Amino acid sequence: MLQPARTKYRKAHKGRIHGAAKGATTLHFGAYGLKAMEAGRLTARQIEAARRAVTRHMKRTGRIWIRIFPDVPVSTKPAEVRMGSGKGSPEFWIARVKAGRIMFEIDGIPKDLALESLTLAGSKLPILTRIVQRMGEE
Amino acid sequence: MAEIMSFKVQARESSGTGAARAVRRTGRIPGILYGENIVPTPISVDAKQLSEQMHRKSFFVTLYELDIDGKKQRVLPRDLQLDPVTDIPLHIDFLRVGTGTRIRVSVPVAVTNEAGSPGIKRGGVLNIVRHEIEVICRADAIPQRFTIDLDGLDVGDSVKISAVKLPEGVRPVIADRDFTILTIAAPTVVADEAAAAAAAAASGTPAEAEAVSAAGAVPAAGAAAPAAGAAPAAGGAKGAPPAPSAKGAPAAKGAPAAKGKKK
Repeated sequence: MLQPARTKYRKAHKGRIHGAAKGATTLHFGAYGLKAMEAGRLTARQIEAARRAVTRHMKRTGRIWIRIFPDVPVSTKPAEVRMGSGKGSPEFWIARVKAGRIMFEIDGIPKDLALESLTLAGSKLPILTRIVQRMGEE
Repeated sequence: MAEIMSFKVQARESSGTGAARAVRRTGRIPGILYGENIVPTPISVDAKQLSEQMHRKSFFVTLYELDIDGKKQRVLPRDLQLDPVTDIPLHIDFLRVGTGTRIRVSVPVAVTNEAGSPGIKRGGVLNIVRHEIEVICRADAIPQRFTIDLDGLDVGDSVKISAVKLPEGVRPVIADRDFTILTIAAPTVVADEAAAAAAAAASGTPAEAEAVSAAGAVPAAGAAAPAAGAAPAAGGAKGAPPAPSAKGAPAAKGAPAAKGKKK
């Protein structure tokens, strides 16, 4: 799973996701991509599940680019612990994704296979997604 | 050779955010027409007509004859702003072009004869490094696309700009080096298996090995991937999610568990 090699601070604020993506809203590497249609927090596990779904359906041919990275630590408190006594310990990593962000790009495979793969990937994610392709390919 | 298509537009009276929004509410897309040392003219185009044209592969290399309330003007689409979420066009720029105008334009790359490439037949991956090539040429002689024949290309072969026959009067913007347009890369399955084998030898469990090979296959994740694969092997021994670390990769091996406050 993706996670930072090192971070400056162990714990992060929860934060809120406002607005639409400002960058990474168009395809840069591949011919097909998966775009977020709403904002959300994607865990490293979800990103990995989507990536596996794509690579397995592509039979490990073609190329895949992941354009999000889970760099925000999320902490949780242990079970049956009273409130207070400080913030819990970091448990997993998430990527904050804004609407419009291209999350995955793939190339080097036929169109039908690409669309199927990205559909599978989208179903692993907790947000609405849409498959996009290079302008002029439709 | 660029074909010339017609496009019916209307001049609009006012400009600015509010006026542009008002235009969009009427089902039209605001735009601007500039160039040739003439004062820019705010225009609006029909949304349906624009969306039909913009999905053509050669939209930005096609000359259009704009009919602005009956007045004809030869133009080239230069920019198209899209909504980041829905990809609906928001605004379009047209550049006025004269007969001898030389312009800088990005020409799309198309590939043919994929079946004729032994590299692709053997499972190689067609890696298009540049989907568009920026060239300088006359506005009335813009190539619609550069077609590259993959016949005979094997794994490891690449096509550079020197191998592309450019029409007369067309020269690439990048002139100081012979840049790569596409390559036939080795199938990733080979790299995956090698990485999986190495990881399996290092950690001893197939699940972890797959995670490492997976991370290695992600170009965008490049630098962090090996560390990402290594951390679960150490931290997630009991099947718990790998605990994030603030103290760098070495500290990732269970450091949060030791330092984290138990409440």
